[in-house]
Amino acid sequence: MKSIWENYKTEVAYDELMHSEFQPRQVSQRLCQYLNSLNKEDIEKRKIAAELAIMEMGISFTVYSDEGNIDRAWPFDIIPRIIDAKEWRMIEKGLKQRLTALNCFISDVYSEQAFIKDGKMPSEIINSSKNFRKECIGMQPRHNVWANICGTDLVRDKDGVMYVLEDNLRVPSGVSYMLENRVITKRVFPELLQDIDILPIDDYPTQLYDMLVSIAPHQNGQVTCVVLTPGIYNSAYFEHAYLAQQMGVQLVEGNDLVVKDDDCVYMRTIEGFEKVDVIYRRIDDDFLDPEVFRKDSTLGVKGLMRAWKAGNVALANAPGAGVADDKVVYSYVPEMIRYYLHEEPILPNVPTYLCSDKEQLAYVLEHLPELVAKPANESGGYGMIVGPHATAKEIAAFREVIKKDPRNYIAQPTLAISTAPTLCKGKLEPRHIDLRPFILQGEDTFVTAGGLTRVALKKGSLVVNSSQGGGSKDTWIINGEEH
Amino acid sequence: MLSRSAERLYWLARYLERTENIARLVSVHMNLLMDLPKGVEMGWLQLVRINAAEQIFYEKYPAANERNITRFLLTDSSYTGSLFSSLLAARENIRTSRDLLPDEAWEQVNEMYLFAKNNLDSIANRRNRVLFLNEILKGCQRFTGLLSGYMSHNNPYRFIGLGKHLERADMTTRILDLASLLLAESRSDELRHYETMLWMNILKALNALLMYRQHVRSRVNGGDVLNFLLLDNNLPRSVGCCLNEISVCINKLPNHDSLPQQLLLLQQTVQDIDTRETTQLQLREILDDLQNKLGGLHSQIAANWFLREGVAHIE
Repeated sequence: MKSIWENYKTEVAYDELMHSEFQPRQVSQRLCQYLNSLNKEDIEKRKIAAELAIMEMGISFTVYSDEGNIDRAWPFDIIPRIIDAKEWRMIEKGLKQRLTALNCFISDVYSEQAFIKDGKMPSEIINSSKNFRKECIGMQPRHNVWANICGTDLVRDKDGVMYVLEDNLRVPSGVSYMLENRVITKRVFPELLQDIDILPIDDYPTQLYDMLVSIAPHQNGQVTCVVLTPGIYNSAYFEHAYLAQQMGVQLVEGNDLVVKDDDCVYMRTIEGFEKVDVIYRRIDDDFLDPEVFRKDSTLGVKGLMRAWKAGNVALANAPGAGVADDKVVYSYVPEMIRYYLHEEPILPNVPTYLCSDKEQLAYVLEHLPELVAKPANESGGYGMIVGPHATAKEIAAFREVIKKDPRNYIAQPTLAISTAPTLCKGKLEPRHIDLRPFILQGEDTFVTAGGLTRVALKKGSLVVNSSQGGGSKDTWIINGEEH
Repeated sequence: MLSRSAERLYWLARYLERTENIARLVSVHMNLLMDLPKGVEMGWLQLVRINAAEQIFYEKYPAANERNITRFLLTDSSYTGSLFSSLLAARENIRTSRDLLPDEAWEQVNEMYLFAKNNLDSIANRRNRVLFLNEILKGCQRFTGLLSGYMSHNNPYRFIGLGKHLERADMTTRILDLASLLLAESRSDELRHYETMLWMNILKALNALLMYRQHVRSRVNGGDVLNFLLLDNNLPRSVGCCLNEISVCINKLPNHDSLPQQLLLLQQTVQDIDTRETTQLQLREILDDLQNKLGGLHSQIAANWFLREGVAHIE
């Protein structure tokens, strides 16, 4: 019988588990030994067990399509991705450093703007940012933290270095899948998890709850937190419901909440109105409050900004925090770390060309076939181009798109992002992956042990987003020295 | 508990109860028609009339035959009163209320929905239709059973109880509409000939034949059957019993001040009914009055506890 490793190629990129076809890295030795003890049928059985568990648990995400919105089962690859704990401790420190600097920056942008006055960033970048909310000027959220929940995307290049690809500071999603992936892995490989010391991740809902309580406007007595969702037609509805249930708080929609004349927020319950102190909102700024932002929003709560500005309710993330979730601003984060924290950045950025700069624009237009270019404010992998995978016609068209709106485009070299063995039709093949750890900041700062590993299931593809054919893997942080 | 959650659970229960009622009604009627001679005024169309859907039916189908009517009532997803539409609506309401119910509750409804969806075409055939209906009836019973055994009898449970019993009382009055045919002065000799069998059939549609035998201890006759199905305090599908259950739920829910009085009036109306010498016309009036009052009770429940009527529940 043929091995599941047959023809496994590690030369495509840095492989997270394997040195070569036959030699696992130190941290993945136990896993590979175990996998080798199973035959193809065993592996297939585990895969089916995982799929069944996903159906039963109802883990789904919603895909918008012409034929209505469909709930799809979450595509999950049973082979975990492993990171050495020693490396992880460094990454964790780097993530904390980064979010701390970003929060200093957001606070600064809505008050002194010292970073700009000291010539570290041109003021046009902020003035032209669609996520800069002038309504937020002068606000001081508790602990001066604006982005309480951050999902930072990391990728490893051919050189083995972990780079930050982007910081998601608006309403990052995926954490529920990270948690469910571990639950499934425990069901599928119970013998394996017993033998290996993997850092646990299931305290995330507790940490999230504690963070939310720590930003409540008052610190006496009981704090009422809620999760605000746009509703069942949102692609992340499953996650909203999951987190609310795990934290034991109410999952509310816009019309469950009302802001009364006292500028406080209340929810409508069968016992009457109940005051709300903290809202973990999963609605974008634009739709949050029709009184202030988009008038046509039916998802938000009229008067919510009034209540927030009066200091009667905490919003996580704070409105306006998205100003730092912009791929142009991203390129300044290393400088922010030096400026606000007087430290050297622990995690490097991917080199980024700003199309707003004439010289850099010229370089981007000329070298587009080798680069990845993306809009500064989109998420979900939409509206981007991967030069080496695009046709000449697509590249020519994209050049025009960039020229029309250079401020909103950036470009980066095409990284050979790392791969990990992924089960494809009964055998293992290398597939490109990234990693999204989640960082919480309130009174304290917390980083998940690992994060959500997303995998591009299509051969050769670099796009890992679930809306575009991506899947996910469980992520293990293991102490490598023990073995 | 959020008002929106209360509304969704209430509708979840109504739609599931409706699903079960349609299944039972079609199943019993199918048995009956096998025994009756052709041409008696108790055909398939009566089932459409019970749901006040004659006009909608004829807009979609040219002829009122068994095949079209069972399709309309059971699997037509473009008719909101069909079994499949009700099941679909129940599923959407529970999908968004999973945090309040035991996991098995969602799984049960989801399983039933998947079963129905995969077997929509099979019901054209009588034998398969019987199997289909049995499976749905069992599924609904499992749901009821697991809630009563697994779930705290708390406020969410009470909203489920409210929806279930209001829908059930409403359906009982509709099934009695069928009975009013049996009281018509102009009814055919043939129908008179099969009368006892038809009254038994109505009892069966409400799972009440055995209980009637034990309780009434006389031969099956119209007046007694009507009284039993409207007034009996112990039969779970009698209107009186449903109102008692509703009353228990309402009195344990917070902020119920305005409701008990309304309910008392309704219970009084029911207890004052005497159907032993009633004519077809009188019975129709009684049933119309009851249906209106049940509708009024629903509006009051909605105004008292829900967001705004109709905002939260999913059709």
